[in-house]
Amino acid sequence: MNMVRLEHVRKFFRTKQGDVNALDDVSLSVRENEFVVVRGPSGSGKTTLLLSIGGMLRPTEGQILVNGQDIYAQNNRERAHFRAENIGFVFQLFHLVPYLNVVENVLLPSGTGKKQYVRKDAEELLDRLNLSDRMLHRPSQLSAGEKQRTAIARAMLKNPGIILADEPTGNLDPENSREIITHLVKFQKSGGTVIIITHSSNVDSYADRIFYLDKGKIDNRHA
Amino acid sequence: MRTSYLIFLEIRQRWLNFLLSLLAVVAATALFVSFFTTGQASKQETVRLMRDMGFNLRILPEKTNMEEFWKTGYSEYTMPESHVYSLASKEAISYAHLTAILQGKILWQEKEIILTGIAPELSPPGKKKPPMAYSIERGTLHIGFEIAQGLGLEKGNKIDIFGKPFLIAQTLSESGTDDDIRIFAHLKDVQILLDKEGRINEIKALQCLCVVEDKNINDLTLLREQLTQVLPDTKVILIKSIALARESQRMMAEKYFAFIVPFVVVVCMAWIGILAFTNVRERRHEIGIMRALGYGSQKIASLFLGKAVVVGLAGAAIGFVLGTFLAVKFGPSIFKVTANMIAPEMNLLYWALIFSPAVCMLSAFIPSIIAVTQDPAVTLREE
Repeated sequence: MNMVRLEHVRKFFRTKQGDVNALDDVSLSVRENEFVVVRGPSGSGKTTLLLSIGGMLRPTEGQILVNGQDIYAQNNRERAHFRAENIGFVFQLFHLVPYLNVVENVLLPSGTGKKQYVRKDAEELLDRLNLSDRMLHRPSQLSAGEKQRTAIARAMLKNPGIILADEPTGNLDPENSREIITHLVKFQKSGGTVIIITHSSNVDSYADRIFYLDKGKIDNRHA
Repeated sequence: MRTSYLIFLEIRQRWLNFLLSLLAVVAATALFVSFFTTGQASKQETVRLMRDMGFNLRILPEKTNMEEFWKTGYSEYTMPESHVYSLASKEAISYAHLTAILQGKILWQEKEIILTGIAPELSPPGKKKPPMAYSIERGTLHIGFEIAQGLGLEKGNKIDIFGKPFLIAQTLSESGTDDDIRIFAHLKDVQILLDKEGRINEIKALQCLCVVEDKNINDLTLLREQLTQVLPDTKVILIKSIALARESQRMMAEKYFAFIVPFVVVVCMAWIGILAFTNVRERRHEIGIMRALGYGSQKIASLFLGKAVVVGLAGAAIGFVLGTFLAVKFGPSIFKVTANMIAPEMNLLYWALIFSPAVCMLSAFIPSIIAVTQDPAVTLREE
């Protein structure tokens, strides 16, 4: 079964310098429980693709189905709810809330949706991610690797079907990068789907499939 | 995670932003509270000071020739003394003080003197007020400056007027008016001296605080109509300059306050609005990630509006305490006459606790809209 399916997706941005074709007739599908890497140089449209799949950037044309749902056929409220229950995000810059400690950051998604998550849920996750001794630390007191592991724990709290990771190792040294990828692979092994976008090749060896994006188009020459 | 908990933690993290917002609300609230707390004292003090300027309404016998009246300073006609009591007993007619007067020119010690008899002042029923004119005992005189100077009279001297003995209770200081050539006595004494017992030729009144708001003197027209019913054989003169001065003095503080209030509110709102906007800018990644995690517009707006409410409530409470302290501490030295009227006004606290959060929410409304409409796709791509 397809977890993600894009059909003829286009995304234009109107800028002062003219229209930018961020995504140009992109069609692809990602199966459930698949580990997919989307590679491409800077400005190739990778982040636009990720945010579009995540329901945060409406495509100009085309259709995006996630877990069988046409997410842009939903209204904003429904889409926000769908995102909260089905999608986890991991970003290069971590985007942890500075005034919350590690446990509180992990519990941040519990502010949405019906199911309540408690401190114990977050602590179990953090234990699995080797952060049990950092639970009460603020983001400013963590290393880059610890911040990213916290972000992964936050993404995994609601046990979403898919994690979308935007350059998750971009700010990390090789050792921390490996650890982060290992956690994402574990998530995949436990039944989740992972889509990582990156400009480097260091994640390729973990991927079930790799898509190459260049100037907004899927480049099949690399497939 | 509860919104209130997130607000509390955010305030703890960005305490300077919170403190600056709080400062604006505290300053504005303290200003209002101190103004209002001292306002009543200020109003009363103005009334007292203006009262000392003199009467502003003169009720004369209807037949009075006004040309003669202005020449001589009194009416040649008289009316019954009972008029003043009739008037005093009418609750429908607004006045503050009433005084019956009888005046007449006499030749005494080869000097032309205006002998002025003044009755004890009357106040409206149930509103006893301290007298604002001389209170003269029977058998005593208050001597005008020129007469006292010219005849070498001093306080304590005993003199005779038309064979009736009097004690000089006071010699008056120079007034620059025809009071300087007057001798003031009790009405009853003057009635005897002028052989006009039971008669008066003027009622002076202080028709305070409500007369000439409308320059068309509609109030005077109304008063004349009312007086005609009570005292059909009288006419009324309004000393406009005094009435206007009194009214404008009273209005001045209110106008000043009416200018200050919106000014302070606008400055305070702008200040809080700018700080809220800065807060939104600073938190755009946080808003972006919350959006990504599925937070709705309502929840995100409540983070900013909730913080504004906290600022408003805390600012109102602190501002009330500060404003009251300032008013109670420094008010008495400014409003010396009515110092004892300055006291904490607890109802101002309730108003502050309602208005301050409302104003803060209004100030934070546009920044909240900016936060809600912010595109997470843009902020999450920022490096």
